[in-house]
Parts: sequence; structure tokens; C-alpha cells
Amino acid sequence: MNRKVAIVGVGSSKFGKRNDVTIRELTWEAVKEALEDANITQKDIQLTIFGSTAYRGTEIYPAPPASEYSGLTGKTPLRVEAACATGSAAAFSAINAIASGMTDIVLAIGADKMTEVDTSTSLAIGGRGGNYLWEYHMYGTTFPTYYALYATRHMAVYGTKEEDMALVAVKAHKYASYNEKAHFRNRITVEDVLKSRVISWPIKLLDSSPISDGASAAVFMSEEKVKEWKIEDPIWVKGIGYSSDTSYIAARKEWTGLNAAREAGAMAYKMSKTSPQDIEYATVHDCFTIAEIMAYEDLGFVEKGKGAELLREGQTEKDGRIAVNLFGGLKAKGHPLGASGLAMIYEVTKQLREEAGPVQHSFKKYIALTHNVGGTGHYAFVTILER
Amino acid sequence: MEGIPLFMKYELPDVYKEFWDGLKKGEILGTKCKKCGKIYFPPQKDCTNCMTTDLEWVKLSKEGTIMTYSIVKQKPQGFENFQDYIIAIVRNSDDVDLMCWLLDKNPRVNEKVKLTSDGKRILCEGEQK
Ligand SMILES: [Zn+2]
Repeated sequence: MNRKVAIVGVGSSKFGKRNDVTIRELTWEAVKEALEDANITQKDIQLTIFGSTAYRGTEIYPAPPASEYSGLTGKTPLRVEAACATGSAAAFSAINAIASGMTDIVLAIGADKMTEVDTSTSLAIGGRGGNYLWEYHMYGTTFPTYYALYATRHMAVYGTKEEDMALVAVKAHKYASYNEKAHFRNRITVEDVLKSRVISWPIKLLDSSPISDGASAAVFMSEEKVKEWKIEDPIWVKGIGYSSDTSYIAARKEWTGLNAAREAGAMAYKMSKTSPQDIEYATVHDCFTIAEIMAYEDLGFVEKGKGAELLREGQTEKDGRIAVNLFGGLKAKGHPLGASGLAMIYEVTKQLREEAGPVQHSFKKYIALTHNVGGTGHYAFVTILER
Repeated sequence: MEGIPLFMKYELPDVYKEFWDGLKKGEILGTKCKKCGKIYFPPQKDCTNCMTTDLEWVKLSKEGTIMTYSIVKQKPQGFENFQDYIIAIVRNSDDVDLMCWLLDKNPRVNEKVKLTSDGKRILCEGEQK
């Protein structure tokens, strides 16, 4: 990066089924909190990047109406989309705009209102998340099916059990119970997960993140401005990595991990001159429980095939070797696709600033990462942050 | 309050007619670059490896191994009226990986299967149907 970039303000709406707002008010909840957190106003913003997948809501071009409502007209809401990694794509674009020297203060917003369509429509849109003709049209794939294909293979090759995957959901719900912005705040047991309705075997209802409405936002600032404005406690972007994989899942050659995530992770570690051992806290993409287990392996927290072991040993709990998803993860906090990546940045920023209340993890080096996957591994972004 | 519904209907270009004709005869076709020999599945009209468009249709092997599978219980729009179906990824003896519907009742990863077709999609079945 040519110039250092900091996060100076973060905001997030409450996630869940939000019948009380349109995407405009929902966006404003996140934007207002981020601006107040950064102690700036809309006139300080030079550029807005708006991440939304949009297809499940009435506003299929949501950037102009949501930006207008937030008082950001004239700041060019540029919409980006990278499926479930859309929020990270927005952050990536904001970071680049500053790192390149183009701008100094950028607001990245992620928002999606996914509950406006019924579940069958939502499943159909998700099933088209890969390759329409060769997957959805011919075989009726659903989004849970794609991750179920990974789960079945991981179980067959590494002996991962349905019980292990259930532990991811139990952990997510436990921590979400402390998060007043989470979609689900009920605690669940392994038994509850195993007994829940099968969606696409071995994926069950409680292995799955919910269909949620939500918005998140972050203010990014150049080092120059951070110094000029004497910003207290900036969180620095230490490294960022990105990669992608084939649209057709069958062409991946291996279904026990995500190559895009491994490549994005390697790139982020290299740029930030860190290694997996330096990471003390992580938000990982747990759209389905198997995804969190694969993330541990893809990010190098543990060797390949040992993801479930890390979980069983409790190493990814608060104050464990590496704490993961202490705000409840996508699984329980909710997964409004456009917002998720920025919600991860919100969470890591709060943790690094030691503003996470009952779920505050203890840090030594203050280095954390976000891992956000789009589609079935079509996109991956890994961002390493440091206080 | 109910929003105005958005109906979307699609007309697909018949770019891969040979593939669909092949399926009707129980054949699984991919394309192969005449210059570099790269096999494409899903089929492509262009070889992006050597920037040529000189590809031919080739029959792919119908012997394969199950790499992974999932039993679809909650079905998406357009598939509501189907019984539960099993989506599998199979690696055939040409080392091509493809998606198909698996007909076995008790499938297992690494099971040997034969690839067939119902004229609309690729199917596969093992010994223990
Ligand atoms: Zn070629």
C-alpha cells in the first residue's frame, strides 16, 4: 500500500427480520453510528462505497436511495458486489481509494434487506450463486447444498462429525446471547442442532446462518488526516488479501477447503508481515458451520483436517489461543450479505479497542483478522488489522 | 404492505445445442481444444488457454467416482415438485469433475459409479441403487 489507512469509525444496525424499516432507514442506523464514532459529519466524507447484493429486496439499485437518505448525495455512491463478501469488497475499495492517494476519507457501507422475498425465492437466488446453467438449471442446487458438498467431503476425508459442526453453532449462539444487535440470542445445544430439520444433508437448519436484514459501515482515513486531526485510537489496516475461484464448484478439484481463502490469507499475511501465530482474534466466514472449520484450516490456525479438534479443545473461545466470532458469527449474529464484511470490521475494531464488553478478548499484540468468503468460495477477502 | 412483484422470464441462447443433443442419446459431451488439447467441462466455445476458437466436441468417459454429495430436502423455486434429490460431484476416468444427480439410496464418497442421463441432466448410479 502506498499510504497507510486507518479505520476511525464503525457502525452497525441491529440485524434480523427488520419489518420496521426500509433499506434507507436501515442504512442510516449504521451510517449514523459510524459518523458519530469517528466524530465527523457527512461533509467530511469524500467518497462512498456502497456494498449490496440487492437481489432479495425491492431496491435492486439501493445505493442512490440509501445514500440520499443518509445525507451523502454528491459523494458518489459506487456500488460493489462480491456475493457474501460484498462488505469486504466495499472495504477493499475504500482502502484502495485512500492507499492510492485519490482520497483521504471514505465511507464504506454494506446493506441488504434479504427478508423482503420469501424463502423459496431466496433459495432460488442463492442456488444461482455459482453458475446458472451448469448447476442451478440442471440440478436445482441451493446455497446450503454447495456447503453440504464441502461438509460431506470433509467428513469422509478427515472424519469430521456432524457433532463437530454443531459445536460451531453452539458457540455462535452462546456469544450472540451477549450481542443486542444479533439476529438470534437464544442458546442452543449440540442436540438441538442435530435434531433440527435437514435442509441439504448434512446441513441442517441450525447449521445455517439466517436470512437477515442489516447494515454496517466504516469510516476509513489516510495516515495524513489521522495525524492532522489527532484521531485517538485508530485501527490500522496492516494487510489485505483477495482471491477467487471457479464459478462451477465441481471444477475446484478439492472440496475440503477454499483455495480462494488460502490464497487471500497468504497474501494478507505477506503484506502485513505476520503469520497465523500472530493472530489473536478472528472473525471467520461461518455461513454454514462447516465453513468455520474449513476457515481455521485455510487460514493456517491449525493444520489441514484438524479444524474440528481446535473447536473441541475450546481454543477458539474467548481468551483461547485464538478467539473466533465472539459477536455470534454470521450463524447467530445474522448474515445480510452486503453488510457482513463490514460487520466483521466493526467487530474486530471493537475488540481491538477493548470496547467489546462481556465478550472482550484479552490481547497481547493487538493483531486480528477478518475472513469473508463470497459465494461458494468464488471470492475471498482477508484483512489484517492492528491497533 | 405488499410490494409489486417482479416477474423475470428468461430465454437462453442455444449455444451448446450439441451438449443437449448428446444428453438425449445418453452421451456426455465436453469440448477439446484442437491446438493445446485442453478439455473443457462445462463446455466452452473458446480456448482461453491458447486464445483460439478451434475446439471440437468430444465424448467424456462414463466411468466415475463419487467425490462428494448432498441430499436436497428443501428445494428452490422450479424444483418444488421434485422428490428429494441427491446432487453429487463425480470425477470420471478422464479426470473431469462434473455435477450430477445421484440415484443411489445409500451413497458413499469414493464409490464407483456409471454416468448416464435422463435427457435433461447427467445422472449417475452405483451398484447399490
Ligand atoms: Zn487451447
